[in-house]
Amino acid sequence: MNIIIVGNGKVGYALAQYLSKDGHDITILDRSQPALTRASETLDVMCVRGNGANVKTLIEAGVENADVIIAVTGNDELNMVCCLAAKQLGAKYSIARIRDPEYTESLVLLQKKLDIDQVINPERTTAQEISRLLRFPFAINIESFAHGRVEMVEFRAEAKDPILNTPLSRLHGRFPHVQFTAVQRSGTVFIPHGASTLLEGDRVYATGDRESITRFFKQMGKDTERLKSALLIGGGHISYYLAKIIAGMGVYLRMIEIDEKKCLRLADQLDGVMVINADGTDQEVLESENVSDCGALICLTNRDEENLITGLYGVRHGVKKVIVKVNRLNATDVMEDLGIDCAVSPKLTTANAILRSVRALNASRNSVVEKVYYMLDGSVEACEFTALEGAPYLNIPLNQLNIRKGILVSVLVRDRRTIIPFGSDHIEAGDTVILVAKAGTVVNLEDAFDLTEIRK
Amino acid sequence: MNKRLTFHLIGNVLRMAGALMALPVLVSLIERSGDTIPLLLSMLIAMAAGTLLALIQPRRDTLRPREGFAVVAFSWILVSFFGGLPFYFSGYVPSLVDCFFETVSGFTTTGATILTDVEALPKGLLFWRSFTHWAGGMGVLVLSLALIPKMGARSIHLMRAESPGPSTDKLVPRVANNAKILYGIYVGLSALMVVALLLCGLNLYDSVVHMFGAAGTGGFGTYADSIAHFDSAAVDVVVGVFMALFGVNFSLYYFLLKRNWKTALGNSELRWYWCILLGASAIVAVNILPLYGRNFFTALRYSFFQCSSIMTTTGYATADFDKWPQLSRSLLVVLMFIGASAGSTGGGIKVIRLQLLLKSMVRDIRRTVHPKSVNTVKLDGHTVDESILSGVGGFFFAYILVLLASLLVVSLDGFTFETNFTAVVATLSNIGPGLGMVGPVGNYAAFSDVSKIVLSMCMLIGRLEIFPILMLFAPSAWKH
Repeated sequence: MNIIIVGNGKVGYALAQYLSKDGHDITILDRSQPALTRASETLDVMCVRGNGANVKTLIEAGVENADVIIAVTGNDELNMVCCLAAKQLGAKYSIARIRDPEYTESLVLLQKKLDIDQVINPERTTAQEISRLLRFPFAINIESFAHGRVEMVEFRAEAKDPILNTPLSRLHGRFPHVQFTAVQRSGTVFIPHGASTLLEGDRVYATGDRESITRFFKQMGKDTERLKSALLIGGGHISYYLAKIIAGMGVYLRMIEIDEKKCLRLADQLDGVMVINADGTDQEVLESENVSDCGALICLTNRDEENLITGLYGVRHGVKKVIVKVNRLNATDVMEDLGIDCAVSPKLTTANAILRSVRALNASRNSVVEKVYYMLDGSVEACEFTALEGAPYLNIPLNQLNIRKGILVSVLVRDRRTIIPFGSDHIEAGDTVILVAKAGTVVNLEDAFDLTEIRK
Repeated sequence: MNKRLTFHLIGNVLRMAGALMALPVLVSLIERSGDTIPLLLSMLIAMAAGTLLALIQPRRDTLRPREGFAVVAFSWILVSFFGGLPFYFSGYVPSLVDCFFETVSGFTTTGATILTDVEALPKGLLFWRSFTHWAGGMGVLVLSLALIPKMGARSIHLMRAESPGPSTDKLVPRVANNAKILYGIYVGLSALMVVALLLCGLNLYDSVVHMFGAAGTGGFGTYADSIAHFDSAAVDVVVGVFMALFGVNFSLYYFLLKRNWKTALGNSELRWYWCILLGASAIVAVNILPLYGRNFFTALRYSFFQCSSIMTTTGYATADFDKWPQLSRSLLVVLMFIGASAGSTGGGIKVIRLQLLLKSMVRDIRRTVHPKSVNTVKLDGHTVDESILSGVGGFFFAYILVLLASLLVVSLDGFTFETNFTAVVATLSNIGPGLGMVGPVGNYAAFSDVSKIVLSMCMLIGRLEIFPILMLFAPSAWKH
């Protein structure tokens, strides 16, 4: 597809990188020459300099033949006007990043009048992601598939866990409904097989239906107690959305914000939240708020460094769940070394959300990919497909299908039943299939199998 | 420098060059010209050497500008060396230095020759000699980019290093598709020209070989007296016009095909290019009027052909312009410096650089008068980045520096200043014939081996626009 990306910031660049790898033709539009130079030298994309809402620039970027226009500049209004203009000029699908809560309320109207097909709100999406993490405090990451039926939970294997140092084939007898999908160990990711064992410190992805996963973690003795109190540092958009989402969870929520005006506004807008006007990075403030007793510490200020330091302070004082917001996409390794497992990045979240919809758009043409989830640093992805009638791989036992190297058929969902497949299982028409593979290798379900022999 | 990747890519290009030699082998078989064996042997050697190099597997595939430059520079040197082997094996050119000179001259689309008697060569070799023009015109690496899939996301550095002009812009997002579009236009225009020449009554072999020379803006032919051999006004017009067309930025043809008339025809470089070309033709025509019986159209026929040939840096001749009046000769030397448009197959400094240099000069004058004035240099309505302007200034200085340095070395041979100076300009700008001994009826055979190597380097430096070759001598490029 021809895709125009307006705004070559972190999100725009990440999008261009992934989408170009997927085989799309990417044109990047930006006002700043240095940003464009960086993109044109490292990616196989076309760069056009100019204002994304300028008709002349849009035409120069080939908007008439564009299948998708993605407006991700830092400016909401520009993104809207850009999508409007592009749609008028012939772009087929438009995606805009709109983050200001003021617009969120009138979004339905705006979206309709401006003819924007999809609106991405990074802050709200991030808040949703954080709220999921708060539900399972031990999890580093949770992703749901098949309309929430299947969950993929990333957690860190600890010394007391009963699953360590045992071959996975033996573990399977004990936890038949849970699959260990992927493991990250000392910086590399691998898909484990029957003889692999898990070690202390591994980051493990466990997949299964919701009930089995919950049961699995209970058997493991992981704390599944409900979260009682949380401390939020920073009163930005994410904090606002998060407070709204978890208001119904019965959590005692405190929010520390340095700016008095913001505090007043937040106190005005939010009910049932204690808003504290103080410097959240100040240790005395944190001590007086009794950080060590709260269930979760969530650092959401605008500065990565402050979030990190406050997060570290929380880890040191025994807070069980520390979540830190970072804007630099590649800092996850460093944080892991520091003992902070949970990092959320609004930019990565935005990029992921847009990637999913572009994949789905592309899919509606030749295959049915429902969802793509980028695991770890984005080098591995989990894709959800629907198997179509008449496909060549149907009704053949998996051990007779030549599954390409490095690809795992993770879970099948048939008639609302979740199946962790074995060699003797097969794919039927209408099944939901979740694959785990190296990023960019599987665009279509057929890509997973070497079908040359079957075709014969 | 990522040496493994550099070698791997060079190997691929070399294999491609070997594959190109299949064409002259075929021609020599059809024409029964008796030079099949040397051609086939060279082809196999080039393919074998290329395959050996390509076997080196890169550990990382990060291609930075420096690797791009190195790949381009070494590929051109090696391709020229292996491409010269047929002349050596056949025995027509006994010196390896001469073979190298002749092939460099071919690939860089210069058209300077050391052959004293072109017509003695068999048809297969002559075909190969001209075909190197065609392959070198649009670029050997661009061809590889178009044909070899997946050269990687960063292959833009290869294209940049090989494509002429101050900045290389993409037409479509993917490098491979850009290369395909450019070659598509190139092949299309070339086919048109062959048809036009056939209609003028030339046989297929002559049509194709002279198309190679004009399309690549090279200038090798099959006759000692170049295009004058046909002595036909129709051929003069066809070749003259097509040379001028091949000197236009190929992107503009793409915009024409896309019916984007405004971008294509409103391009300021295009307008300057035609103004200079037609203006120079008119002046020369008036100047040489007495030589052609005061018939303006005859004079214009010769002057337009010659201006087009020199400005596009082709080097075909329909008249011995060395015998023309001083004004015409000087004007032709000026045209040698200017050269064709960026993104064409032609050489020289390029019209667009001249425009930018002039505009920055005007800006500097304005700044002297109004010290606090803020000015930008604009081209086609867009502000030109300061880094591009300083790049153009640097290019111009380097061009003059290489010119002067080479002039000093070549002067050791003791020929006249006119001969030495125009020989260096004609090779550095990839034209071919100059004035004096290296004029349209002369050749480069009399130069010493040292001079020939220096002039060969001039041709490569000129074709690759200086920096890829100069970078090879920078120690810091080789670290890491």
